[in-house]
Amino acid sequence: MQVRVPENLTLMEKLNILSDAAKYDVACTSSGVNRSNTGRGIGNCIEAGICHSFSADGRCISLLKILFTNECIYNCRYCLNRVSNDVPRATFTPQEICDLVIGFYRRNYIEGLFLSSGILKNPNYTMELLYQTLFKLRTEYHFGGYIHVKAIPGADERLIERTGYLADRMSVNLELPTAEGLKTLAPNKSRKKILTPMRQVQMRMEENRNELTLYRNAPRFVPAGQSTQMIIGATPENDFQIVSVAEALYKKFELKRVFYSAFVRVNEDSLLPALPGGPPLLREHRLYQADWLLRFYGFEAKELLSEEKPNFNVLLDPKCDWALRHLELFPVEINRAEYGMLLRVPGIGVRSANRIAKARRMGTLDFADLKRMGVVLKRALYFITCKGRTMYPIKVEEDYITRNLLNVKERLPFELGQDITYRQLSLFDDMHLTKETG
Amino acid sequence: MENTTIFLCEDSLDGILTGVYDAWDSRLGHKNVRLETRAESNLELFCEYRDVERDLAKAEKVLNTVRKRMGEEGEEAVCYAAACTDRRKADAIYRIIVLGLHLKNGRDAVNCLQNEDVALVMKLRQKAWHEAHRMMGFVRFEELQNGILYSQIQPAYDVLSLMAPHFEDRYRQENWIIHDIRRRQMAIHRKEYPWVLADAEMLNPDYKKYYSDQEDEFQQLWKSFCKSIAIEERRNPRCQQSLLPLRFRSCMTEFIVDK
Repeated sequence: MQVRVPENLTLMEKLNILSDAAKYDVACTSSGVNRSNTGRGIGNCIEAGICHSFSADGRCISLLKILFTNECIYNCRYCLNRVSNDVPRATFTPQEICDLVIGFYRRNYIEGLFLSSGILKNPNYTMELLYQTLFKLRTEYHFGGYIHVKAIPGADERLIERTGYLADRMSVNLELPTAEGLKTLAPNKSRKKILTPMRQVQMRMEENRNELTLYRNAPRFVPAGQSTQMIIGATPENDFQIVSVAEALYKKFELKRVFYSAFVRVNEDSLLPALPGGPPLLREHRLYQADWLLRFYGFEAKELLSEEKPNFNVLLDPKCDWALRHLELFPVEINRAEYGMLLRVPGIGVRSANRIAKARRMGTLDFADLKRMGVVLKRALYFITCKGRTMYPIKVEEDYITRNLLNVKERLPFELGQDITYRQLSLFDDMHLTKETG
Repeated sequence: MENTTIFLCEDSLDGILTGVYDAWDSRLGHKNVRLETRAESNLELFCEYRDVERDLAKAEKVLNTVRKRMGEEGEEAVCYAAACTDRRKADAIYRIIVLGLHLKNGRDAVNCLQNEDVALVMKLRQKAWHEAHRMMGFVRFEELQNGILYSQIQPAYDVLSLMAPHFEDRYRQENWIIHDIRRRQMAIHRKEYPWVLADAEMLNPDYKKYYSDQEDEFQQLWKSFCKSIAIEERRNPRCQQSLLPLRFRSCMTEFIVDK
């Protein structure tokens, strides 16, 4: 491909094009690292991360999320910026990005920078540009805010390593859950090429941890860890496959986060599924719920789903669904149950489980106390006892509990959440399944 | 039955802590005293009222004791809860401190959620923390001609002094002002100096008419970024509004429509 002659675009036009092109990247978190001001420049980071605004789709705006360039030599079928698309192209200069970041950061618009890029000329050339941008920000402007940068698959190891010392988080996108999916939709990418930098970052982080125990002031490599994302619903994988892939990534690659992105059809392409019901948002939501169960609740993928039951229940969240299939373990006594078991009770989250574990050392707990602690009793009451009693007489029976749980309106972050409770009587109607698998 | 003595304190952290000191020091017995803030107090029969004069030295003593005996978590709970608006907060703060100093390990006081006062303090702490944390993200600075960064806020609770340290660290090399227009207070930070709390009457009202030359350009860039980053297929204003309620938007650049 020939390199296009850059037109004279204003900063505003470039920002519009390159933020529009970056918006399908999900990650916008600024969490995972605590760093106070170095004293030379501007900026700090706080562990919990900060959301600075919320866009019209309800997603958090925390970082200035942009591509360095949307001129890309690849032709991934799902991507708006593929080489065969006729879209306006633009490329920033490192200086322009620095001006934007500092200008925005001073006004407290953003928490930092999220820098991704299309592949300009070749992976090394692109990675070098990303490195230069970060280098300028960190050394010339002494920028101490958060930086999330993409590692470009296929780029030189040394370039990725040097960039990692300037960034807080690095990510390599897995793009699609399986290697076969990747082959059909992203002919220029391969699973191996994607996993190589991921492994490299992981190894380097581990070495860095050792260095830091020896030398407290050693430079830190990707202190907020690495993440990845995959597109859901563009290829025919089932939920079980996806959750298993995520679990493997957490266990074998020590990723901090896996993001799921409901497929949005931006290109007309015969290999892409038609989505008459819009992007599979409910499915994405269920995957995030399961993801939380994997990371914070001690669940394993094979507990949630199996080959025989490969997809999530549309009507119930994965935790309720699991509990209903394991009624033999319930009810649990709040004042005595192990912490790990408390976490598995529907209606009890990490925060309330912690509160229970601490409070019960100081005295026994009753249902009124649980309510104050933030336990969702209308969901939990079927699974717990306090001082040996249930809240009121209940039958520990799957049908009975299922019926009652479905009466509890689940708070879904989407408009389609309404349909579910509205249609609750048609329990095994598969109206939502068509929406999902499209 | 003995009469209850009600200590009326100023509605601020220092005011409440002074109240705690005086109530304890009165030796009337914990069950015979009650703390109330002036703003929310309604006179009651069969009670003796005592006005508490804010005294920084007393407040400092109480806070030091809280820190020493109840740990950082206890201190944080007291400070954040005092920022909230709740009729019972002053008394609940008193009770949690009484409990903390009576327990063998005062650090456990914040965990006794069976106790209603503790539960209230912890609930208020959570609310104020959430508000302060939100404000850390939602504050929008505007650059004035002399390079000062100026921002207006109107938070639901008095969280200005809880969020100022964050900005002090973040913008150490900047001169900035955060102005709480609801409470007529402002936090002022001069480059390389610690921040101070000041009365907003000091502010020249014409101050913010003079923006720096770049200000408008950056505001436009930011507005257009916020528009282009949203995915049309996932449009969901309800979700947006629950995460970013309308009450914040009047002070946020991206929601202010150009004239």
